[in-house]
Amino acid sequence: MKVKALTALLVAATCALSLAGCAHRRGPAPGQLTLGMVTDVGGLGDRSFNDSAYRGLQMAHARIGAYVQVLQSRSAADYQPNLTALTNLHFDMVYAIGFLMGLDLDQVAKQHPQQRYAIVDAVIDDPNVVSITFREQDGSFLAGALAAMVSKTHHIAFLGGQDIPLIEKFEAGYTAGAREVDPNIKVDVKYAGSFEDVAAGKELSNLLFNDGADIIYTAAGKVGLGAIDAVKSRDGDYIIGVDSDQDALAPGRVLTSMVKKVDVAVFDVARSLQEGKPMHGHVEFGLKDGAIGLTDFRYTKSAIGEANLARLKAIQAAIVSGKIVPPDSRKALAAFTPVPL
Amino acid sequence: MAVLLISLVALTLIKATPLIYAALGGVISERSGVINIGLEGMMAIGAFAAVVISYYTREPALGILAGIGAGALGGYVLGIAATRFKVDQIVAGTGINLICAGGAAYGLVLIYNQPGASAQVPALGREYWVLVALAFVAAAALHWLLARTPWGLRIRACGENPAALASAGIDPLAMRVYAVTLSGALAGLGGAFLSLGELNLYSDGMTAGRGFIALAAVIFGRWNPLGATFACIAFGLFEALQYVLQGRIAWLPADAMQALPYIAALVALAGITGKVRAPAADGVPY
Repeated sequence: MKVKALTALLVAATCALSLAGCAHRRGPAPGQLTLGMVTDVGGLGDRSFNDSAYRGLQMAHARIGAYVQVLQSRSAADYQPNLTALTNLHFDMVYAIGFLMGLDLDQVAKQHPQQRYAIVDAVIDDPNVVSITFREQDGSFLAGALAAMVSKTHHIAFLGGQDIPLIEKFEAGYTAGAREVDPNIKVDVKYAGSFEDVAAGKELSNLLFNDGADIIYTAAGKVGLGAIDAVKSRDGDYIIGVDSDQDALAPGRVLTSMVKKVDVAVFDVARSLQEGKPMHGHVEFGLKDGAIGLTDFRYTKSAIGEANLARLKAIQAAIVSGKIVPPDSRKALAAFTPVPL
Repeated sequence: MAVLLISLVALTLIKATPLIYAALGGVISERSGVINIGLEGMMAIGAFAAVVISYYTREPALGILAGIGAGALGGYVLGIAATRFKVDQIVAGTGINLICAGGAAYGLVLIYNQPGASAQVPALGREYWVLVALAFVAAAALHWLLARTPWGLRIRACGENPAALASAGIDPLAMRVYAVTLSGALAGLGGAFLSLGELNLYSDGMTAGRGFIALAAVIFGRWNPLGATFACIAFGLFEALQYVLQGRIAWLPADAMQALPYIAALVALAGITGKVRAPAADGVPY
């Protein structure tokens, strides 16, 4: 009996709190562009993917006056209810953030063909869904080219998280970029088998450095933090960070970071809607949209040198113009030959 | 070649050390009659507490002590649950794993105002080799203590026949709480080795299943400290081998290489079955 009363009290309190949370929120003004977003389990505050997407919505709020609402997912079981909830509120666009939500969005989108959706990092083949993916291989190509220019040992390395197609795009682009600059360069590739085992990142990086590589590009989530810790005590060696700007984590030792700007893509989709020319189908973002790219080398400019930076600019221009097409898989990498610039 | 061999040996030792601490903890706990599924969580909370204390005091040695303390606390909770409340030991241990991982994740938000990973804190540096050496000393010491001292006899009796221990005037329940607390302290030290010895931060999921591998090592090692240590070294060696060999054998993909330690473990397990016997009262509430 006591337990029942307690449960009832808890339920009542939860309801009251959630109602209180909604009560003071103003709804959208008539005619205002309305944008809803469902985070994946990483949630807001992950300093990476979801936060970046949320920044895109805030940009849309600030620049084009959009009304914005976010629902966070505590587990994968929340994806469909959250997507459906925003659908029932008739938002102009509902964003699903992350590859993990692909199947759920597909189901919801088929049930609500009149609603517009957007998904990041997955391709869903429904007429009412915009699929946003990134040309990670383009930015990785630049990272590889830079590494080959800076390497003194003509020996660099790639450290991946899990060996999945998404990470293969990073590996293939990086290796091709290095060969573009130095066709005979040695590129070691190792995978940690995890995105979380930070210690493994440090151990593998030390191994790669001891083997003679002097630059390691990481595409391995938190495993990359271990790599950055390993490089701190190694003068002359570098790590290239990934996803967010990691340059400040070991100033001068992180050569650059290959940044993926989910916010830019999210904002562009919203703007296209506002301008009455909504994007649809599969949209790829890359160097020319500014959604993929290297950081501004604020700690490493002098180590890289003006000549190399100019050369990097030329390579970037060649990718944007389509003269160089960075490979996005090991198979495509095998067929890649350096393009004379 | 020589360089390769040295990195292989060094990597094996580094990989084995946190496993050895946790496995020794597992041995003590199981020999006293409590199955410690919670090793993973105790490692995680030890790793987390070590980083937090080093962050506030700027003293990594104090951090290591805090890691030991936090692991011991986790062990104490499991010990009380398993004895006084006679909770199923597997369920209680799983609960410890969830509470520790969740608590650390929440603590990151409270203390560093960011989910996922802590700030970088003062860490041990080269002194961490002391902890590597200490793991082997601890293994030898525990082996001697369990086999040759009255203390060891009591722990073993507690796991084989607690009623006999009670008839000798020693409370088996108190003995078990004490043993599981000690077990947690060792697991916490293993976690602190990861976060402050090897690295200088805590990150969610950084223990990456090491507590469960340690638990497997306890069984491979037949509940014997030296046997468990040997199992941990073997596991460390295969892990180090897969690191070194990855990318050197072109036709073998990374995934297959990463399965190497587990395949080795399966082969070892298949080889020693039949002779394995757990303490008679292991997992049986008294």
